[in-house]
Amino acid sequence: MTKRTKKEHEEDSRTFSTGLTASAQVPRCSGQEGQIATSVMLRLPVVSRALVGAAKCSLTPTNNVRTSVRAASNMVEVFIDGKPVEVPAGSTILQACEKMGVQIPRFCYHERLSVAGNCRMCLVEIEKAPKLAAACAMPVMKGWNILTDSEKTRKAREGVMEFLLSNHPLDCPICDQGGECDLQDQSMQFGSDRSRFSEDKRAVEDKNIGPLIKTIMTRCIQCTRCIRFASEIAGVEDLGTTGRGNSMQVGTYVEKMFMSEMSGNVIDICPVGALTSKPYAFTSRPWETRKTESIDVLDAVGSNIIVSSRGGEVMRVLPRLNEDVNEEWISDKTRFAYDGLKRQRLTQPMVKDASGQLVPTSWEDVLTRVAGAFQGAQGSDVAAIAGGMVDAEALVALKDLLNRLNSDNLCTEEVFPHAGAGSDLRSNYLLNSRISGIEEADLLLLVGTNPRYEAPLFNARVRKSWLHNELQVAVVGSNVDLSYTYDHLGDSTQVLKDIANGTHPFCQVLAQAKRPVVVVGSASLQREDGGAILGSVQTIAQNARTSSGVDEGWKVLNVLHRVASQVAALDLGYKAGVESIRKAPPKILFLLGADGECITRQDLPKDGLIIYQGHHGDAGATMADIILPGAAYTEKSGTYVNTEGRSQQTRLAVTAPGMAREDWKIIRAISELAGLTLPYDTVDEVRVRLAEVSPNLVRYDDVEEANYFKQANELSQAVNQVLLANPLVPPQLTAKDFYMTDPISRASQTMAKCVKAITEGADAIDEPSIC
Amino acid sequence: MLNSVRLQNQSWLKMAEYLQVFRRALGQLRGHGGVKGLMVQLFRANDVKTGALIGVDKYGNKYFEDTRYFFGRHRWVIYTTQMNGKDTMWNVDGSMVPAEWHRWLHCMTDDPPTTHPPVPKKFLAEVHQFNVSGSSQAYVPYSTTSKKIHEWVPPRVQ
Repeated sequence: MTKRTKKEHEEDSRTFSTGLTASAQVPRCSGQEGQIATSVMLRLPVVSRALVGAAKCSLTPTNNVRTSVRAASNMVEVFIDGKPVEVPAGSTILQACEKMGVQIPRFCYHERLSVAGNCRMCLVEIEKAPKLAAACAMPVMKGWNILTDSEKTRKAREGVMEFLLSNHPLDCPICDQGGECDLQDQSMQFGSDRSRFSEDKRAVEDKNIGPLIKTIMTRCIQCTRCIRFASEIAGVEDLGTTGRGNSMQVGTYVEKMFMSEMSGNVIDICPVGALTSKPYAFTSRPWETRKTESIDVLDAVGSNIIVSSRGGEVMRVLPRLNEDVNEEWISDKTRFAYDGLKRQRLTQPMVKDASGQLVPTSWEDVLTRVAGAFQGAQGSDVAAIAGGMVDAEALVALKDLLNRLNSDNLCTEEVFPHAGAGSDLRSNYLLNSRISGIEEADLLLLVGTNPRYEAPLFNARVRKSWLHNELQVAVVGSNVDLSYTYDHLGDSTQVLKDIANGTHPFCQVLAQAKRPVVVVGSASLQREDGGAILGSVQTIAQNARTSSGVDEGWKVLNVLHRVASQVAALDLGYKAGVESIRKAPPKILFLLGADGECITRQDLPKDGLIIYQGHHGDAGATMADIILPGAAYTEKSGTYVNTEGRSQQTRLAVTAPGMAREDWKIIRAISELAGLTLPYDTVDEVRVRLAEVSPNLVRYDDVEEANYFKQANELSQAVNQVLLANPLVPPQLTAKDFYMTDPISRASQTMAKCVKAITEGADAIDEPSIC
Repeated sequence: MLNSVRLQNQSWLKMAEYLQVFRRALGQLRGHGGVKGLMVQLFRANDVKTGALIGVDKYGNKYFEDTRYFFGRHRWVIYTTQMNGKDTMWNVDGSMVPAEWHRWLHCMTDDPPTTHPPVPKKFLAEVHQFNVSGSSQAYVPYSTTSKKIHEWVPPRVQ
């Protein structure tokens, strides 16, 4: 470890312990810097804040954004209601109060956004100061006594609340925000008990900003959180204000959609019911739903989510805080594709009858058929393909079953090059730097990927680092809109070769980088020359590591996956890609949630049997002879490993529909009937088996480090593949490619509406004209 | 003296009562055609009472009356053992009583259709239809709430 990095480490740990150090640099929090300053604290909803209080500050994970000033000794003492507290110089009053566990009401202030200071709800009295100060924007000075519950402060809050309510409609009973509304809560806590308002209320026309977000702009209190979210986090300058004073309005200036893959988050940050979810409108109330903490599997990021369910039905999906993965945002696909869980479902076992028609049947029937087929099969007769949303439990059960039949022909749909070290070295297929590691990088090279649509939360992290840390981004691949600027180096593989050889002008930039990161998209490794591309990228990463002199702990090479099951499947020893099946067609093909149509009936012998196990009637079920209905990710407790190698588990929110069962249980039942009983009866026993195969799979919320980059690079040198001339084009180029990528989102009507709205305009969607 | 006469009188009355019961039991045994018939009757109708046969309908159901029983239990039906091709030895159903007998059986009238033939009405069923409740043909009103889960319907093979 070099001297510099040691210092860095010390500083990091200090940041962690104080929790406020990151905000030391800016006295008045405005613009980009202010965002850093304010992003340290306050992550829980307003009501629960008072309870957590001071303890939370030290528990809050450190913000990885590097700051120029780290002055741990530079503490000032201030008094909150007479009680002394030490805070770093430059902290705002609000942050000091949070440290004391004192709750300051606020509307416009959001810890991950820049400070606007326009709602005036956080006004507090400072002793001996002539005027009240906005706590969110006022930095503390030594010796101040801040009075958060004085008569003057209370009168100010009541006054602000009265003005806010003077133009806010009293439609809480029909408002979707009811029960989780900041205005509702704070008016109960800090507002006056009566109104002196007798004039007419202002009315604002609603805007159609797309099929996902419903606007009731009369309810808007102009906190501008949505505007700041759009421009700072999402990177689209779609929202803004027009007019001033009483006639100030939030809108899109001209009629247009709010076009962002993260747009749903404005529903969460809106403190009132002005922006609510269109698909969720009038369906349930927050107190009726049961919340289940789960994981999203629609992309490889593994966003942490809360599944709200009522009466065995998923009502909505909300983000859950995880600083290392998704912060507090989720992508629109994660949030709105849940209606796909209720459509096109496989609810009962099916077999093909004599005429070739799939007809519903009983579990006994299908299980004996499958077991019978397996009993008569030799090793090479059986093969399996795992799809993109399969949990590790099902993967290991299927692998154990097929291994007992002397077959090791288990593949994943997603291809990964076998050449060189292939998937043998774990570092080859992980996002080794981790998502949060991007915030420490100073140069990012993206190869053949469009992270904005392949992994929106990863892209949000890149954008955050680009905005606050001056992260420099370069792209080899198609010239796509990533919501930040980057050097486009071209889309040909020649560029890649040149950078690897050191002849490209970009190599000088790369050589100067202190903490370089290279991210290659999994799609570009699925070309015929995938091995060569991975080899070049490995060389580039290795060269960058050498030139930067960064310490051993820093990872340069990263692979960005697109499907949730891939890392777990590779960890368990599945072969990536179906090439081996195509070469030696098996008699029995077991599709475990495989809907990619990478193997069709034409690839198999005429009497070949296709068994499909999964939860949606998609491509796989259509070509199957036997269908075993499985459970979707909200209906089972399953282990998923995200692209970083972080293993996380989904939890059962609702039961699987009809006769559908958890996937590993189906495979366990088949094994028993086939006379090859698998040695596990409970999910815990399956996880013991998972731990036997790969212990990292059950170390939940932990990222197992991978290494051997150098060895992988040396092995890849031996690959004599040539780079093809085809340009590196990621499969998802524009927003309309984003929404429907897997069986769940393909079955979702909301996602279909999004695609339609993008291609034909927001007006093409007919919405019921209620409210 | 008087007391003893009364006692003697009472015991004689009691004897007569027992005799009555015995005679009725004998009548029931005879009326149902011996022990076997009595047992069949007992198991089919849970009762062995006998009465005057008022009539037999077109399906073979027999209607009895015995006014010595309490009102409401004084008219009853012994169902036929086969009806419209269906074996009704043990599976009997209240709907097997045709409309004209239903009136008399339920004491809506004292005139049985044997003496007072019913006025023909076109809404009266010509042939009895069995009650399909509890079977797969039972009528189920369609649901007005939308389905929570829409299952996949496999494409039809032509």
